[in-house]
Amino acid sequence: MLSTESGSASRRFFYSALFWLLLPGLMGLTLATLLYVPAVYDRLPLDLKPYLSFGRLRPAHVNLMIYGWLSQAYAAAILFILPRITRAQLFSERLAHANWWLWNLMLVGAAVTLPAGLTQGREYAELIWPLDLLLIANWVLLAINIWGTFARRQEPKVYISLWSFMAATLVFVGVYAVGNKIWDPSGAYRGMNDSIVNYFFVHNLFNAWFTTAGLGLALYLLPKLVDQPLYSHRLGLWGLWSVWTGQHHQLNSPAPDWLEYLTVVFSILAAVPTIAFMVNFFMTMRGRWQRALDDVALRFLATGALFWALTCVQGLAQSFRTFSMQVHLTNWVIGHSHLAFVVDYSFWAFAAAYLMVPVLVRRPLYSRTLAEWHYWLTTVGMGIFMVSLWIAGLIQGQNWQTNSVPFLETVRSMSPYFALRLVGGLMAAGGVLCFAYNLWQTARRQASFVAVAPTPAAALTRGGGR
Amino acid sequence: MKPGLVYLTGGSLISLLLGIIVTIILPARDPAALGPTALARPYTELELRGRAVYKREGCHYCHTQQVRAPEANRAMVHQAGDIGPESVPGDYYYQSPVFWGTSRQGPDLTHVASREGIGKNEGWHALHFKNPRAVSPGSVMPSFDYLSPGDLEALIAYMLTLE
Ligand code: HEC
Repeated sequence: MLSTESGSASRRFFYSALFWLLLPGLMGLTLATLLYVPAVYDRLPLDLKPYLSFGRLRPAHVNLMIYGWLSQAYAAAILFILPRITRAQLFSERLAHANWWLWNLMLVGAAVTLPAGLTQGREYAELIWPLDLLLIANWVLLAINIWGTFARRQEPKVYISLWSFMAATLVFVGVYAVGNKIWDPSGAYRGMNDSIVNYFFVHNLFNAWFTTAGLGLALYLLPKLVDQPLYSHRLGLWGLWSVWTGQHHQLNSPAPDWLEYLTVVFSILAAVPTIAFMVNFFMTMRGRWQRALDDVALRFLATGALFWALTCVQGLAQSFRTFSMQVHLTNWVIGHSHLAFVVDYSFWAFAAAYLMVPVLVRRPLYSRTLAEWHYWLTTVGMGIFMVSLWIAGLIQGQNWQTNSVPFLETVRSMSPYFALRLVGGLMAAGGVLCFAYNLWQTARRQASFVAVAPTPAAALTRGGGR
Repeated sequence: MKPGLVYLTGGSLISLLLGIIVTIILPARDPAALGPTALARPYTELELRGRAVYKREGCHYCHTQQVRAPEANRAMVHQAGDIGPESVPGDYYYQSPVFWGTSRQGPDLTHVASREGIGKNEGWHALHFKNPRAVSPGSVMPSFDYLSPGDLEALIAYMLTLE
């Protein structure tokens, strides 16, 4: 149960992440179907209806995707990277296994409670109190392994990724505790403040955890996959400083105006880390684009980075009141959130899995063809998904502003876009199935492969780095 | 300790603290949020149960409860302007959690009880919850025919508070 074999916890995390990708993925397809043909729902047996109700499945889909699939894939990659950039043993492999058990316990809890309607009713912060506590415990355990490995490092140079994992876990625990009012089982504040804290949490879940740790992951993968040192380690450090832009989720809302103007300023400042990362990305990729065509892992990473730039551009545009009025509350936003979660962060996680899983199971990847299918189905499928929702959102926003179209008309007009979204979603799901089957078969094959040597931090930066 | 570690830990904690102060504590002290408006009122037992049903069934993933300034008294649900007046912080004084929402697959519900023909019509709500498509053809709202009679009554009582 608590093996001490090095790499074993990382391997487990990758495989359970895979499971938590498939289950909420299925939920997502169900949601897309319910919006396109709501009549399906009317035909379900009455006993089943509560558990498949849109308003219960949606938080289940979101929570399992972010705390299950994506966060576990991050944890797997972090546990893989730590010993390699510190040239030391992981602080405690046993602790990492305990972490894995507790983490999956929490996810099983989420998968049961959310469809059962047990929720705190606040977006992204739905988990009930006992699960909130478990979640914090999980991040603390992960943090202990990260900080502990940092403390015993043999490699004098601290590579950027290590800094970002350390910062991400530290800040995220604080953000989660405050955002979920962890000292109160109801988990909710009162009146306007409840909403303000809620979106403080939502945005900083992205900033503090998915972006900060995600950039750490991307900056480890990039030099490895292009086989060329990172362009600038110092520039990489700029990417760490996320800012407090949560309130731009509530422009034109009842919240105080000064807060809205302040977040516009924060949102503009957020361009700094984005630009720092993109410069580093393009300069490190210089002359190596051919590799992205040949190597699926690098292609996922690079596609994710390009889409990340688009996410930030959209995010900036959305943080202006006029544009917000046009798209906020429409289906545009659903497109935007999938842009961030799927084609940026998840693409980086896919890249990590293709690089790391074969090393962890000591076998070559089962099939390159399947990996190609994964890339193309997911990319094209998500492209259709997002573009149809963006168009849908612009149309909705426009119709709402004319003040002369009955709301129900605008609902009916969504139908063709919901159909396209479902088609895109099905394609992406097909890609994910290729991914899952590929990794599954990889682990089952006969061992025939020598483990890759660890990468000392010095090899990731120019001339041993500054 | 190495300077790098000091910068990282200090910077992260200061940044977290600043974020909390500026985007949570200061707005909480904003005078606009300190008292209830005429629209806000304490809930009865039944209405609170209705709110709990609303939360449990996740109505807020499809419905907002916030009317933004540029659309107030102008945007159309059934008739031009029936989205109702702009929401202000004091309206939410007695609510925890609030259901501002981020997505409008369905219309804003802040003032649904004031809408003609629907608002205070308990029969309409009951029919609509049981079979939305019978009342509004083309609706994507799920049918809530699985709610217990008690839950349904409470939910409708809560709807009637949204004036
Ligand atoms: C999948 C999204 C969805 C969910 C979940 C949902 N609704 Fe709706 N709702 C709609 C749509 C679309 C309409 C507009 C068409 C119609 O009248 O059915 C609507 C209309 C309404 C209306 C009529 C508003 C008006 O002014 O005409 C009320 C009241 C309402 N919903 C309440 C609820 C409640 C309460 C819940 C939770 C128990 C809920 N809805 C859950 C989508 C949803």
